[in-house]
Amino acid sequence: MDNDKALRFNHRMSLKKVFSKYGSFYLFLLPAIIWYAIFAYYPMTGIIIAFKKYRYGLGVFGSHWVGLRYFKEFLADPHFYEIIRNTVVISLAKLIVNFPAPIILALMFNAVSAKIFKRTMQTVSYLPHFVSWVVVAAIIQKFFSPTTGLINDIRVSMDLKPIYYLGQKNLFLPFIVLSDMWKGVGYGSIIYLAALTGIDPTLYEAAEIDGANGWNKLWHITIPGISGTVGIMFLLSVGGLFGANMEQILLLQTPATFDVSEVIDTYVLKRGLNMNQFDYATAVGLFRSVISLALVVTANYLSKKFSEVSLW
Amino acid sequence: MNIETNVPKINSNKGMKIRKSRSQILGKCINYTLLALLGLIFLYPFWYCIVLSFNNGLDALKGGVYFWPRAFTWENYLKAFQNPLIFSSFRISIERTLLSVVLSVFMTALMAYALSQRNLPGRSGIIFYFYFTTLFSGGLIPTYILYRQIGLLNNFWVYVLPGLYNFFNAIVLRTFFYTIPESLKESARIDGCSEIQIFFKIMLPLSMPALATIALFVGVGNWNDWFTGAYFVTTKRELYTAATLLNDLLSQATFESSTGSTGQKAQINEALAASVSKATTPESLKMAFLVILTIPIMCIYPFLQKYFVKGVMIGSIKG
Repeated sequence: MDNDKALRFNHRMSLKKVFSKYGSFYLFLLPAIIWYAIFAYYPMTGIIIAFKKYRYGLGVFGSHWVGLRYFKEFLADPHFYEIIRNTVVISLAKLIVNFPAPIILALMFNAVSAKIFKRTMQTVSYLPHFVSWVVVAAIIQKFFSPTTGLINDIRVSMDLKPIYYLGQKNLFLPFIVLSDMWKGVGYGSIIYLAALTGIDPTLYEAAEIDGANGWNKLWHITIPGISGTVGIMFLLSVGGLFGANMEQILLLQTPATFDVSEVIDTYVLKRGLNMNQFDYATAVGLFRSVISLALVVTANYLSKKFSEVSLW
Repeated sequence: MNIETNVPKINSNKGMKIRKSRSQILGKCINYTLLALLGLIFLYPFWYCIVLSFNNGLDALKGGVYFWPRAFTWENYLKAFQNPLIFSSFRISIERTLLSVVLSVFMTALMAYALSQRNLPGRSGIIFYFYFTTLFSGGLIPTYILYRQIGLLNNFWVYVLPGLYNFFNAIVLRTFFYTIPESLKESARIDGCSEIQIFFKIMLPLSMPALATIALFVGVGNWNDWFTGAYFVTTKRELYTAATLLNDLLSQATFESSTGSTGQKAQINEALAASVSKATTPESLKMAFLVILTIPIMCIYPFLQKYFVKGVMIGSIKG
């Protein structure tokens, strides 16, 4: 092993030696390196069509340059304001409401002493995470459908008029936020439960001897005990703020709610794949990717500064 | 750990003690009740779908079926599997998921094993090469153009190839490989084992829990994915996965309720209409379909729970 370390720092180690010792490992990595080159890096070069007038016959590299035309067009797009607003509002609402939710759930689980109850409830809470968004959308439709839905079924039996819930503009945001919570809160609580089990139990004993009650212990031991994890997770979610929420929105939006449901991702999909405006859609997508990257880098910088934890 | 030293001291006279324990008991009751309620909220939607899938479709239209099938029937499931479109979509889903799990887990393990060699020259550069793709990507349209160029559109392999590697999974596996003692590999090397033999005979067998976790992640992701089928397999319905088909049925329903026309979904409509009998309606068939799609996962994940809980923790800490 010492020999190994010496070799590592000896930059003159001959290529031959490196390959005779590590050749098989490079071989293991080769398929991955090729795969990433094709499926991750090659599409990055396709970004240049955001600056070109894309013609299928001419290809990505043969098409003519148009400079920032599509970015200007996007800024002047009549939907621009709406899309940006929806993206920000939905992302922020999810962050504000759904970030604390798993922490609260983990604290609730933590307060349970009956093991079987705790384990059953945890297992049950993970279930929605493992089903497809299509299934969740199907369930939501089944519950809130105007004709055959459970809620309207009950309303009708109470002599009330049925409501087309998914067509209500003011209900779209709650639908998105709450369905996201339903799907993710249990699974999200795993990391906080891990942090909670890491708290030294003797701290609680000591506090009890000092006469602390449940709230005292929560405020002075539990919360400080998980605050590190909470901080990291918060920075991670800020970094992923503009990240993919496309599937869920695509499945739950209806023509009646387009005003409040169209976000950058769904817009890219529609302009690009449904209307074949590849160049314009790529420009809009790039706009989002750059904001996302900036958010991740900023979040990482802050994380490094305040918690000494960073992604790289 | 900052514990404030000025925690107010409570006199431990008898009265106080009883009150404290009473409020504790009350708190516990509230907590247990809330959790049980939450449990219901997580479970009931699935139960409702199961109930409807076992209820006579026409009877269900009358409403009022909430907790137990009123007119029990197997008809919905029988019809579902008699329908060629539904049947083929399940076959595609199963094939795709199995193939992806085997290929992806194996290839990711190879990659992770190489990355677990702490002294590998150029390792940090290679890791950044992989990691950077999680920060920045070409986006949807360039990806679509790539698929078109290499012939993946309307091709079964679009389900398998693009999802082969995942950086997060590789990190989970690598972290697990770290826990296998170096001396084990060292003695195998002395005995003349090649790296590939060590990988197959030592690393893989010892990493079963971690591999099972990754297999679950990859499997669930593939089984649940509807997007690939919906946007990259547009002209070949026989290549649809079950999730994509369910999405088609759903968007058709939304489309109808908002515009009253069926449009391009006529083909699936016909297929559905052909399977409708007295006991089955498109709605009840949809529920049966939903249940069939969800049952495999419901059966698998509780058994893998203790593994993926660990996997999530490792993954979250290391980004």
